[in-house]
Amino acid sequence: MKHDLIERYIYAATKRLPAKNREDVSMELRGLIDDMILERCGDETPTEKDIRVVLTELGTPMEVYAKYDEDADKCLIGQPYYSTYKFVLKIVLASVVVGMTIVSLIQAIVDPTIWYDMISDWVSDLSGSLMTAFAFVTILFAFFQDKGIKLDKTFDLNDLPTVPKKKQEISKIDPVVGLVIDILFVILFLAAPHMLGAVNTQTGVIVPIFNVDVIRAHWYIIVLFALFGIVRETVKLLEGRYNNKVMGTTVVTNVLSAGTAAWWLSDANLFNPAFTNVIAQQVGEGEEVVITMFEHFPRFFLAVMIFALALDTIEVVVKTLRK
Amino acid sequence: MNIDDTVSGLKQELRRGTLILLVLSQLREDMYGYSLVKQLNDHDIPMDANTLYPLLRRLEGQGLLQSRWDTAESKPRKYYKITEDGLAVLEKTTAYWRNFSANVEELLR
Repeated sequence: MKHDLIERYIYAATKRLPAKNREDVSMELRGLIDDMILERCGDETPTEKDIRVVLTELGTPMEVYAKYDEDADKCLIGQPYYSTYKFVLKIVLASVVVGMTIVSLIQAIVDPTIWYDMISDWVSDLSGSLMTAFAFVTILFAFFQDKGIKLDKTFDLNDLPTVPKKKQEISKIDPVVGLVIDILFVILFLAAPHMLGAVNTQTGVIVPIFNVDVIRAHWYIIVLFALFGIVRETVKLLEGRYNNKVMGTTVVTNVLSAGTAAWWLSDANLFNPAFTNVIAQQVGEGEEVVITMFEHFPRFFLAVMIFALALDTIEVVVKTLRK
Repeated sequence: MNIDDTVSGLKQELRRGTLILLVLSQLREDMYGYSLVKQLNDHDIPMDANTLYPLLRRLEGQGLLQSRWDTAESKPRKYYKITEDGLAVLEKTTAYWRNFSANVEELLR
């Protein structure tokens, strides 16, 4: 007996199930509903009302679906990651808004155009950056969630960590500052590389340190560099203490960051040679050291980055290993 | 506190704990889902069909039950039967239940 209401009910209950089970479950439900109607009506012809009573007794289609689908209660990002996810998302998005707005304001002062052009530029740049940032953070946490669930299945009571001593705890400020710096770094180099420079005192034009086109062409290196930083700070936030996981993540991501920075700065075209001339013009002939430094700017910049990364690595290793 | 609500919640917990044991024990003989629901109901063990059917499927996935579609009669029915593994599980769990319920009984006296 095929009945329109029953078919609609079965369709609603099974349409979200995996395709390989759908047909089988449909047949099963059809048989069950038939049996339930037979039980209720016996030899009498079931009325529309009988069918409605039976279907109501069986539950809503969503309830039936939830009981059949083993994935029904799973989610992309749940606890214990959700609260940290929300926290990181707020910091990252706020940094993007502040950073992009500052860049737009400076842009508007340095190179003013018509006001509605400036506003529409600001809105479109901001919304694009916000969506990218949101996607990155979400994918990162979905990855943590997936890994975390797998780890939980092999839980062993002996693996429970000791209660951290005060000095082993990571205050939230540290990773938050790290996150903000990472985001501002991306914004600075992707949205405003043309503003990073010195003003030519004769022409009044900003001469950028970097070759803006080359920086923009290699945008993915900068994103990758920031991503390592975001992973590092997020693990710190999730763990909340210096332990082997934080130490391991810090060492690996810092080495990767250093490698990425070296890859990025090894491009001879990255540096804008005109910048050295402006510096020479500004500091005067006597300051040979300063001029030499800017002539070798990529190497100098790389050295500073590696020094900072090494300092961070040493700090985390020392804080983890001390008892 | 609502006594009746608390009691019915506890009853449900007790039923839930013994359900798989009961299902395995009844499926030593071929049976389709709804006949199992009725059989349990006849023994005053109310069981929702929408809970039992997915449970049968899960137990089959674990290798404790096997199923076959009987399409010979006017309406096709899916019959379930216990497997060798299922029998082994049933045997051990039954022994545990006998011991456990006797102990509970003694404490309740």
